Amino acid sequence: MNTFTRQRVLSTLLSNPRSFCLEIKMAEFDDTSLFQEDDHRVAYMFTAPPITTAATNTSPTTTTKSAPGRPAKRRRVSEKDTAAPLPAQEKDDEGRQWPRLFNGLESPSAADLRKKTYESAWPVLESEIESVLRDANRQTLEEVVEFLNSDVHECEGRGRVPAGFIITGPNIAGQDLLFSQLGDVLAELGEGRVRFVRLRAGEVGNLKGGLKRIVREGMGGQEGGGGEDGRMGGGGRRYLDYDLEALRMEMEGRGGGRVVVAFQDSEAFDTGLVGELVGLFHSWQDRIQFSVLFGIATSVELFQARLLKATARQLYGAQFDVVQANAVLESVIMAAVVGTKAQLRIGPGLLRKLVRRQQEQVAGVGAFVSSLKYAYMNHFYANPLSALLVDGQKLGKEILQPEHLEAVRMLESFKSHVEQSVEDGRLDHARLLLENDDYLKGRINRQAAKRQQYLGKLLQSLALVIATEHSKRSFVELYEAALEEGISLDQSPGPFDLGDAIKRSTPEELIGLIKRVMTVVVDGNPSLHWNGMGIGQDAEAAIDKFEALRADVERLIETSKKKKTSLKSKYSSQSRVLRTTVVAQKVQLSRDTATLTEEDNAFTAAIDDFFAFFKTLVGCEPLSNLFLNEVWQYDYHLPYEDVFVPRPGATFARALSRPHDYLGCACCDKANCSMVGTLPATSILYHLYSEAGASINVADLWAAYYALVGEDSEIGMDERSALVLFYRGLAEMRAMGFVKQSKKKADHIAKLKWL
Amino acid sequence: MPPKKTTNQKAAARVPRKRPATTDPYEIPEEDEIEPPKRRRHAATVAADTDDATVSTPSASRLKKTVATPIKLNGLNGIDTPSRKNNADRSARRKSARALVDRVISGAISDDEAEEGDIAREIYESSEDEEDEEDEEGEGENLNGETEPTTTPSKFAPGRKRKTTTTRTRKRSPTPPRDLPPHEQYFFQNKPGLSKTSNNTLSSLQLLTHDEYFSLSRDLSSANPHRTDITHLASLHVSSFPQWAFELSQSFSLCLYGYGSKRQILHKFATYLSSHPPCSLGQANKIVIINGYTPSITIRELLCSLASAVSSPTTTLPGILSYLTTHPKITLTILLNSVSSPYLRKGPFQSIISTLASHAQVYLCCTTDSPDFALLWDSAVGTNFQFLYHDCTTFCSYSPSELEVVDSVHELLGRKTRRVGGKEGVAFVLRSLPENAKSLFRLLVGEVLCADEGDGQGQGQGEEMSVEYRMVYNKAVEEFICSSEMAFRTLLKEFHDHQIITSHKDALGTELLSLPFGKEELEGILEELTT
Repeated sequence: MNTFTRQRVLSTLLSNPRSFCLEIKMAEFDDTSLFQEDDHRVAYMFTAPPITTAATNTSPTTTTKSAPGRPAKRRRVSEKDTAAPLPAQEKDDEGRQWPRLFNGLESPSAADLRKKTYESAWPVLESEIESVLRDANRQTLEEVVEFLNSDVHECEGRGRVPAGFIITGPNIAGQDLLFSQLGDVLAELGEGRVRFVRLRAGEVGNLKGGLKRIVREGMGGQEGGGGEDGRMGGGGRRYLDYDLEALRMEMEGRGGGRVVVAFQDSEAFDTGLVGELVGLFHSWQDRIQFSVLFGIATSVELFQARLLKATARQLYGAQFDVVQANAVLESVIMAAVVGTKAQLRIGPGLLRKLVRRQQEQVAGVGAFVSSLKYAYMNHFYANPLSALLVDGQKLGKEILQPEHLEAVRMLESFKSHVEQSVEDGRLDHARLLLENDDYLKGRINRQAAKRQQYLGKLLQSLALVIATEHSKRSFVELYEAALEEGISLDQSPGPFDLGDAIKRSTPEELIGLIKRVMTVVVDGNPSLHWNGMGIGQDAEAAIDKFEALRADVERLIETSKKKKTSLKSKYSSQSRVLRTTVVAQKVQLSRDTATLTEEDNAFTAAIDDFFAFFKTLVGCEPLSNLFLNEVWQYDYHLPYEDVFVPRPGATFARALSRPHDYLGCACCDKANCSMVGTLPATSILYHLYSEAGASINVADLWAAYYALVGEDSEIGMDERSALVLFYRGLAEMRAMGFVKQSKKKADHIAKLKWL
Repeated sequence: MPPKKTTNQKAAARVPRKRPATTDPYEIPEEDEIEPPKRRRHAATVAADTDDATVSTPSASRLKKTVATPIKLNGLNGIDTPSRKNNADRSARRKSARALVDRVISGAISDDEAEEGDIAREIYESSEDEEDEEDEEGEGENLNGETEPTTTPSKFAPGRKRKTTTTRTRKRSPTPPRDLPPHEQYFFQNKPGLSKTSNNTLSSLQLLTHDEYFSLSRDLSSANPHRTDITHLASLHVSSFPQWAFELSQSFSLCLYGYGSKRQILHKFATYLSSHPPCSLGQANKIVIINGYTPSITIRELLCSLASAVSSPTTTLPGILSYLTTHPKITLTILLNSVSSPYLRKGPFQSIISTLASHAQVYLCCTTDSPDFALLWDSAVGTNFQFLYHDCTTFCSYSPSELEVVDSVHELLGRKTRRVGGKEGVAFVLRSLPENAKSLFRLLVGEVLCADEGDGQGQGQGEEMSVEYRMVYNKAVEEFICSSEMAFRTLLKEFHDHQIITSHKDALGTELLSLPFGKEELEGILEELTT
């Protein structure tokens, strides 16, 4: 059979390509290539053909003369075996390793180092995040389990079905984790006697389906999956697969137990269905112990309003709240972005973007974690300098190639550092950096320590700022600001403008403040994994200083108590009073500075002292001021946006309206958003389409198209060929969902997209 | 031609000049108290009545009216309450629209009617224009409320109005204003009555047949001027394979979108993966390619092939997943063509695929051909997928298996799509089937014809004759066409797939088979089969 005939056969049978994978027919197709044959199959195992064939055999119309149809695949496999495979080493290299950067000049060991760094950096965070997430749900889980265990007996007397309403919030993606955890916990506690059945609205369409699922999962999953019309019960009887009796028999066989049915997305269920199921559970309550759980996105009141009163009466409920997504997000950020375990700093811009996406789109925490992971992947995969992130000792000098140094010298932070040195008059330093490779290497090796130092300071400042409890901003905002602008308490107004608040505090407040700050200095902040200032001299000095201040203030309070005056500072608002006196029927306004007692003055001095010392502890530079911050900071929006928030509409529109952007061909270069005959047919049709109204006359469309490419134009295509391309374009437009059939007028199609 | 209204300023500047209308806001409440003027209504009714009247009348009568009532108009400030005016206009418009529709339906147009039609159309369009302007009027007033003093009644004179409408009609260009934002454009283009398209049809053009399409397209594909560019584009995508493989190995799923067929890219990617497996993909990595565009795709078949790929004993979804969990060395890579194909949009396909993808040992890379794919997944499904999206615009043309060009276009045009029809079609199908299928079909045709002969007179002509399934099966076994019911079903399925038989159950539940052909055709088929 020649190619042409085969095409015809293909075309005729295409409406049912499945027939191709039926064995009967294969013999008829003598020389169908493997490629084409597979195209019509629903699914097939991929076995690698010889590389050469795969590379050339791309067009559907090119065929390779090969083995007869049916055994073709096997033949090819054997061919492949005989064909010379790639040298094993090369295979290994490409598969296991990351591509070398610097246009391939990077040494394999450097690429390997990047990979290893990634592999050691991310999993730490991942487990950290996981534990944070698990902790977040723990309390809810415990409450729910307790409810299910305890209250069952109590309400059983009244014959109602125990129901837990779990308010999960609008993010249904988060429900999955919660319910799977719940399943695990229940299975663990119940020792096989608690059956947990999760129902999702999408999977359960009607009562029968729901019951089938409950019976199947209640009986332990997949057993007896084959029996269509019934299953064996305990006493040798056959039950329909939606008969709860089967479940009862099975459970009795195992010595009783309970069935917990969870409606994951309750709002999505048909109300009637929920009512029917609950009614059934209720009537079976004397034989099978049912409990139900509802995952609710809105509120219990709204949910109850949807239920029938009769149904509601059969339930005995309790409400549980899940930790809100924002709180979870914040603790994830603390642990994985800010904390010391994070090797890579997510830049403020990207972080802000990620957080905003969480708030604007109801994306789960999972989306945030994925984005974070992708940032890590990106950094280590594509930034050759990420190899410098390893500690100085491990970063042997042989790893650093000339290319690394050259790249370092291109960095923004390097440039500004050198410029700064020149301004400061350290000309030798600048010159050495620029010219001496060894000097630069030394500097690079020292940056790891500097980074640690910076991070320590950053976290210390943040922890102290939070400890004051005077900041009005959320933690994430503070962190972003700290990275972007640095931390400085003098800046006013600014995110770290704490001066006034601290100075205005009363003696009692000041003592509380000192205590909190001391705790932070000693113990650090566990959610940031920052362990305090440690046991160095600085820490001791700080502790001593704070102790002394506290003692001072306490003493002052005592004294003033004895004197029965209230202790105040000159900053407290009462110190200056506007006094109104009426003298001889005239109002006199006098600004009066309240006289400060000796203690008051001492207290004022203590506050000043405290604040001054506090300032020495809090403060750090913006991240971008640091030398070589590019090595350990990642702040690129574009890869993230492209990969997580695609704009397919715009992509399609661009490809179709300006094919030159993708093809880079000479012929369409001058087109620049207008129509030229050389454009691909679909592109021309797209142009015409975007100019057309809501309803398009195909005859006119064809005329317009043909005028562009037809015999009278520069292209000079004959009518039939043009028609073929026109057909193809139109079919593609339809497949992409741009047009649909319209019955309003003969040969008209309707426009579907305006974006 | 310049677009009619491009910016708001333009419109705003023009509005007061052309349509004085309700310029003074303080006047309006007063008007409600005064007896509403009749003029506009008259004019409108007359205008609407023109379908019956002679051509010259409308303008004349209108003129007369306006001339007769200027004082009253002045007294009333020449304005009608907007709602009243609108109502009048609307009724005029409705009538003229009806006139237009009637005309289109009846088709034949005499000269008189043609002119009437013009008038009707004018009314229709002018009132539409007014509506446009009314929307913008508010702004116009605010911007230059003072510039134009109120209303001269003559502005309402139909003569003037006609003039303006005619100029406007001339301005109306078939191309819509270009710089409208998409949503504005939607409303602009969906305005009732705007969809003016010509009455041309494709009747003069001979539509393509499959044969012609395939033979021509084969030549064309080799002559594609962008061929090298497309190959170059593909090579760019190929260069990011290592990245994709890395992303897959980090338990993300990939979604490749963009214009053009991505089947070949995916196939190449499969080749790449099998020759350079990333380390987290185990040694026993199975790659399964699923073609989502095949119309006959079913969940069962999908799961079966996946199960056989990993040699799992069960073919249920939880079965496969738990099998994978217990065999941590096996990894499964699913490459899915056209995840957004219409056949995968239905039912639980997406949630099944996403459940698969969320398993740690399953890696998924899928392609999508339509820009609306994101609507397929709710956030729960999306979270399971963990997609990374890559722009993978290829500009490759779709293979015939992916896109049925000729059928698709003919369906779009509302023409008959190719079905295996009539004698030739059946012969064609049967030629590709094994011998026993042919014999079965011969038997079936014979039986149906016999049944027709038997009580043909009694039955209505339109009714298709049907035979009992059981009876046909018994005969088939007798004639050694098949040995088991299973084989028999398989053969019938083949016929079903090509729609050359139909089956249904009668009231008693007996399964009946019938052939969707006329008696003559059946006889012809039988003749062909027996020779």
